[in-house]
Amino acid sequence: MVTHRPLGLQLTHIDHGYTIGGTFTPVLDDISLTIAPGEFVALLGPSGCGKSTLLRLIAGLEPPHGGAILAEGTPITGPGPDRIVMFQDPTLYPWRTVRGNVALGHDIAGRKDPASVAAAIELVGLKGFERAWPHQLSGGMAQRAALARALVNDPRLLILDEPLGKLDSLTRLTMQTELHRLWHDRGFTAIMVTHDVEEALLLATRIIVFSPRPARIIGDLPIDLPPHRHRDDPRLLDLRKNILVQLGHSADW
Amino acid sequence: MNSSDTLSPPLRTTGQTATKADTRRTLLPWAAGPAWFLAALVTWRWPDADDFPDTSQLAALFLAVGLGLTAAAALHRLSARAPWAIALGLGFTAWEIAQAKLLWLPRPFFGTPQDLLDVFLTDWKRLGDSLLHSLGLLAVGYGIGAVLGVAIGVGLGRSVRFRYWVRPLIRLVGPLPPVALLPLAFVLIPSSRVASEALLALAAGFPTTILTWSGVAAVDPAYYDVARTMGARNRFLVLRVALPAAMPQIFVGLFMGLGVSFATLVVAEMLGVKSGLGFYMQWAQGWAAYPNMYAALLVMSLMCTGLVTLLFKVRDRVLSWQKDGLKW
Repeated sequence: MVTHRPLGLQLTHIDHGYTIGGTFTPVLDDISLTIAPGEFVALLGPSGCGKSTLLRLIAGLEPPHGGAILAEGTPITGPGPDRIVMFQDPTLYPWRTVRGNVALGHDIAGRKDPASVAAAIELVGLKGFERAWPHQLSGGMAQRAALARALVNDPRLLILDEPLGKLDSLTRLTMQTELHRLWHDRGFTAIMVTHDVEEALLLATRIIVFSPRPARIIGDLPIDLPPHRHRDDPRLLDLRKNILVQLGHSADW
Repeated sequence: MNSSDTLSPPLRTTGQTATKADTRRTLLPWAAGPAWFLAALVTWRWPDADDFPDTSQLAALFLAVGLGLTAAAALHRLSARAPWAIALGLGFTAWEIAQAKLLWLPRPFFGTPQDLLDVFLTDWKRLGDSLLHSLGLLAVGYGIGAVLGVAIGVGLGRSVRFRYWVRPLIRLVGPLPPVALLPLAFVLIPSSRVASEALLALAAGFPTTILTWSGVAAVDPAYYDVARTMGARNRFLVLRVALPAAMPQIFVGLFMGLGVSFATLVVAEMLGVKSGLGFYMQWAQGWAAYPNMYAALLVMSLMCTGLVTLLFKVRDRVLSWQKDGLKW
């Protein structure tokens, strides 16, 4: 279960919007972005600005209205098992056990690989809970199961839509560390939407800052720090101040 | 997590009441046998008010039940059911006294326990045959209705075009009581058996369709997204996501359909099909053979409750992932 060849992405002039109640609302405005294989990109922006929509487009769940998304030069036309999404809610299937949920990707592909399912469950620390039903799990355990369900597909790109947003702060810290370790060990490309500036600084190699809706890119900061960062690193505090200013908070906040 | 897990056992206030309750719990099962021995004794020794059949067989049957219950008490198998076993023994005793010995209620509308036993002893073949015919009719009609109901419900929940064409038909025909179509069905379809099966399918199909539709329409779209990002196609989304997610609702529909099917079955057998328990009852009433009617009612009731129990057993197995559910 080692990820080979992380996926690179090119987004060129993406426009997108929704028609709600007869009126068209633009959501994404001319987004162009190149993501190198193996990067960990955090998308920061005011809530409701369209970051999650961008992830849906990259996942292939919807086609963009304008522009193109290329994965290694090939346009994305639909979802694919090399680009796995992890949502804010674990969305485990309540009628499947933890093991059954983690094996979902295998079932869809029509193959059986119990060993890799067991390995993914162990990797996220859920060994012993294989036969538990989702309603028996805590929020953190459910999100770990969702992580295992994503990892078992050996994704080349992991799309993270605020996956830690609803966890309590302690569970969140542990999960951040584990996400970082997994990304570091497995070497996939990761794109993560988050509201938490500190989380972005801790995990990402690059932070993209979005404007309020319709989202435009207003900042693109490489985080030039060693992969193993300390939460209290003074350089992180400087960067954090910088980002908060870009998001519209005054510098003396 | 489960609400019943958090329920504490009932508090015992004093040691004295606890021992009293314990004594009652250990002694009560031993009273079940004697209650039935009493019924046997009354039946055997007290002369009948009229010339009833099978009095000594009935006494023997009561005696056998009493012996069986005594054995169950000795093997500690009776604790929870003991009150019911006692009540039934006393109830049969009271019925025997009131009707067979004192003849309080007018005949032939009210029978004695030996009349009922006599029906089972002399007419068991025809009763059993009627039961099999009813079950056969139900199995085919209900089975077709259930399968079609689930299929149509999924179609309504998943496809806009299917919904456009089928929904008006469902709205027009579905709420009609299937019994109302009976006269027409017997005219249009030459075989009364096939006509009844079609109506049973309609009876089972409508609630199943509506509840399946509602269940499929209520599936969290995120469930589809999860499977789709892993490359799932429509077939997987329907069979492995929509159907299991809608299963709790589908079983409500299947249960409701079963109830309507029972009603339709009885009316169809009374009006057209020349076999089955409904026909048997019709025939018994025509000959004023009221004990036969009671016997058929008892068999029908056992059949219906047996089928509902079977459905709930299947449901409990399929929905074992649910936190808690109704216990039938």
